[in-house]
Amino acid sequence: MNRHDGFREFVLARQQALMRTAYLLVGDAHLAEDLLQSVLARVVGHWPKLSRDGGNPEAYTRKALVNQYISWRRRPRPESPSADPPERGSSSEEATLDRIVLHQALAKLTRKQRAVIVLRFWEDLTEAQTADALGCSIGNVKSQTHHALARLRALAPELSDLHIEEVAR
Amino acid sequence: MTRLRNTLRDLAEEAPLVNLADAAIAIHRRRRRTMLAVSTVVTVAALVATTAGAVVVWPRGDHMATPQRTDTVPDLPDGKVGAIKHAYQTSCKVSDPARNLDCGAVEWRVVTRSGETYRVPQALVSSRKAPRAPVAISRDGRMLAYYSRDAQAHVVRDLVSGVKVTSPVTVKEDRIGAGSMLAVSEDGRYVAFDPREGSKDPGLLIDMRTGKTVSIPGKYEVISIKNGAAELIRYRKTDLWLMPVTGGGKPVRFDGVFIMFSELSPDGRTVVAVDFPEVGKRVLTLLDAKTGRTLRKVPVRGLPKGGWIDGTATWLSRSEIVIVGGDKGHRSSYAVDVNTGRARLWVAYPAQLGQSLTLTLPGVSYSW
Repeated sequence: MNRHDGFREFVLARQQALMRTAYLLVGDAHLAEDLLQSVLARVVGHWPKLSRDGGNPEAYTRKALVNQYISWRRRPRPESPSADPPERGSSSEEATLDRIVLHQALAKLTRKQRAVIVLRFWEDLTEAQTADALGCSIGNVKSQTHHALARLRALAPELSDLHIEEVAR
Repeated sequence: MTRLRNTLRDLAEEAPLVNLADAAIAIHRRRRRTMLAVSTVVTVAALVATTAGAVVVWPRGDHMATPQRTDTVPDLPDGKVGAIKHAYQTSCKVSDPARNLDCGAVEWRVVTRSGETYRVPQALVSSRKAPRAPVAISRDGRMLAYYSRDAQAHVVRDLVSGVKVTSPVTVKEDRIGAGSMLAVSEDGRYVAFDPREGSKDPGLLIDMRTGKTVSIPGKYEVISIKNGAAELIRYRKTDLWLMPVTGGGKPVRFDGVFIMFSELSPDGRTVVAVDFPEVGKRVLTLLDAKTGRTLRKVPVRGLPKGGWIDGTATWLSRSEIVIVGGDKGHRSSYAVDVNTGRARLWVAYPAQLGQSLTLTLPGVSYSW
């Protein structure tokens, strides 16, 4: 058995989920791939430790992903679509419009705010788990979440009818 | 589930399918090989010093840092080559039907104004801590600066006269971290090295002739060296510091958060940047580097539909600035008239560079 087989299995099973998280964090397919690849290259080196009993490779990778994103390149890559979204209609395309508007609004959050939104509302992590992933206090997660949601509402009035629940768990 | 969750889920579905295991393993192996090579050299050097009681002199000559390739691109010859218009780093190759990724042959290449492409195997492509190590080109394309693993120092090649100068200041390869940046002055005398973008690790301005250095506070990132001053930016606030190459000077604070700074204009006081909240809106901002005032906003016209601004670079005249733009996998530079906002195509880069993040243009420290 190749010593990287365990890592390969892990990546095969989880890479798509991690890729979605990376995409939500950076908003660009190429950058997301670049981000995840650089994190996985580090995970390979730690794999013997992570794969032992008690290790949690996915949590480690997610944590590395978020922290790498926050401390990553300062110059942001522009995110597409960059064009203004079309006028909102009442058709079945509402979901598509929501997606475009949210994409653009997320791009205007700070990195930490964006990470908090992704971890809390996409990864469905608790405040405690989010705090652990970000290496900050639960109070900080609460305030970041509050500010991020407030900013999303301000940035995207189109989404004002989003039933955003600031659920404390 | 809330509508936010639903929308996030829909958005996440846009993420492309990937297969990253082999690529990650390849990168890991490459880094480990690099680390082993360096530690072996260090061990051998230490043994020689111990057994012979001699002073170990680090080799200064450059030799191949990456494996020889079998393609037809020639090595950058010694002597006179001519000015270059850009440099780029080649990508990892998918080496076989099993889609294994081979990053062992990644290298820097330069393209001369006459269109010749040369490999620069002496230039470090990555370090243990940095997936990409930078090169820098002077604004006139004459000087090429890079880090030489063999010399453990920066090297400046004058591509017009053929003179090569190795920095008297050695810098450990491990200091080159993620997003490391490099700038070189037009005369090749000064090199500014930022070990890690976005970190507080201090940078270094090196006088290649005397070996004198000026420390650059880690909060600042170098953009360019021009007219005897290094243009340094502190992003969070945002501050610009035109630091004389001998040190000194003081920063100016802008009202707002700006990124993608250009070099200093020929008028000696104007820079172009992008207002952070306007990223993606194709608007440039002209800033007064002396007072910190915003001079005016310039909406850019004439970029391809769906294209975006990816950065700013050097001034062609008092009214035209080069910007870099992206457009669905293509990358081009444009000359933009800062009075009218009209953009004209300056250079369209080869298609493969659209996928790469390693295009380096003259005059600025960025890589795209």
